[in-house]
Amino acid sequence: MSDVLAIETVDLRKRYGDVEALRGINLGVPAGSIFGFLGRNGAGKTTTIKVLLGMARATSGAARVLGIPASPDAVDIRRRTAFVSEEKDLYDSMTVEEIVRFTASFYPRWRSELEQRYRRAFDLSPNAQVKTLSRGTRSRLALLLALCRGAELLILDEPTSGLDPAAAEDVLQALVAHAAADAVTVFFSSHQIAEVEQIADHIAIVDRGRTVVAGALDDLRAQYRRVQFVFDGDAPAVSFRAPGVARLQRQGRVLTLLCSGGVDALVAEAHALQPVAIDVTPVTLKDIFLDTVHAEEA
Amino acid sequence: MLWQKSWVETRWRFLIGFAILLVLACGIVMQYPAMRRLMPLAASVGAGTADGRLARAIEHAIEVQRDYRGFVWYQWVSQNFAHTWVLFAALLGSGGLLARSTGAGALFTLSLPVRRRDLVEVRALTGLAELFALALVPSLLIVVLSPAIGERYSLADAAVHAACVFVGGAMFYCLALLLSTLFSDIWRPALITCGVAVLMAGAEAMAAGGSRFGIFGAITAESYFRTGALPWPGLLVSVAASAAMLSATLANVNNMEV
Repeated sequence: MSDVLAIETVDLRKRYGDVEALRGINLGVPAGSIFGFLGRNGAGKTTTIKVLLGMARATSGAARVLGIPASPDAVDIRRRTAFVSEEKDLYDSMTVEEIVRFTASFYPRWRSELEQRYRRAFDLSPNAQVKTLSRGTRSRLALLLALCRGAELLILDEPTSGLDPAAAEDVLQALVAHAAADAVTVFFSSHQIAEVEQIADHIAIVDRGRTVVAGALDDLRAQYRRVQFVFDGDAPAVSFRAPGVARLQRQGRVLTLLCSGGVDALVAEAHALQPVAIDVTPVTLKDIFLDTVHAEEA
Repeated sequence: MLWQKSWVETRWRFLIGFAILLVLACGIVMQYPAMRRLMPLAASVGAGTADGRLARAIEHAIEVQRDYRGFVWYQWVSQNFAHTWVLFAALLGSGGLLARSTGAGALFTLSLPVRRRDLVEVRALTGLAELFALALVPSLLIVVLSPAIGERYSLADAAVHAACVFVGGAMFYCLALLLSTLFSDIWRPALITCGVAVLMAGAEAMAAGGSRFGIFGAITAESYFRTGALPWPGLLVSVAASAAMLSATLANVNNMEV
């Protein structure tokens, strides 16, 4: 993985009439990474992807994909990028063979050997009409059409949405294998924490149109800690001077902090409150996600 | 390969229209011997049983159908095309252009490395080529079949009328294409286009002397049939309106967000 960014956005904003879909998306997707773009439904994931691919125009802010400013005219971005939409939007009027040939015609670096391999692996019948395919088969076809483009960047919007666990696992494994073999960057949105944790090495959590957490997954795991202070009586209402409190929650005798760093300083500061017990524990991605999202709500 | 997409999206509408027009063209040629036998009878009945507007229409129909050229013009161009052409043009122009309905693949299309301008141009040209084939090939079939009943219909007449029908119909095609950038389904653009055509036909019928700029006057090309003069005003109006609507379609597609 290099320091070069495959995707970079700075304070990206998008407004649809009175609705502010994006309120400040800041992303840095390292080239060669598998980047999980995590957020609840309606958080702004799909809108961000549409802006990156020039399907929608940003109201303000900047977005660069493979070093090229994102815009509807940026054909070069789409030549070097493969995209799978959440709806697995394909041409229902075509057969599998027709849509494969159609798509291949736009990409000089089309990977015919991969096409053959995935056709067999995904059991795609060439004469089947796209509109008759099951959701799982349709997802596999959409993935084949994306993986065989020879793209440097794969952008996938909820790639496992609506799939049964076995089909979802197939899709994820194909993605990981492809990313490992071809050193492509994979940027995928999801609201499934487990699948992001399974394959991503970098993540961003987006909520209500804003990026709330971003970084390498290992760094985030190492950085974030849950600290619980137990008191004799009710936990005091305090605010900490030391930085790094991502979330603070008081419940009876327990004061719980989600810290994004500086745990030692926070613990030292808390000693002045004379807790009877202090417990520092590592957190999962799910904890980080839920805590940051709930912090936004608060 | 965008051509293939446009063709696949419209082929059934085109082929159904093509088959219908070929059958109609055959039917008109084969109907002529019977019509020729009935013509004297029709003349006497028409003159005696109606008056006013209806009588003038009957007299007009009888008058122009006294020979084979007039029969073909009246039945094929003035009746069949004038009545069905707008529907074929509207159906060919509707849908497919970044339609956001399920299965239309708007997101897939926009993820491809093509300019939106190319999408519009290819879609428009494919439809116009299909429209031209619908206008020309069945007309040529009349030329080919006419000797079978001992008649002759000139290639030049067939080509000129097909060209006029095509140019006139192109305006309705472009209107349907433009409406397809506003509606996600195929039916609303087609129905609105047909509604506009009905209003225009009514306005043309009521406009005394103003129909030389009319689209239906261009489609039927009565001036060419009677005097050999092409209906230039109507044709130019259609070309100008078509170009304006294609420009508007392109602007809409460029500004479209899916």
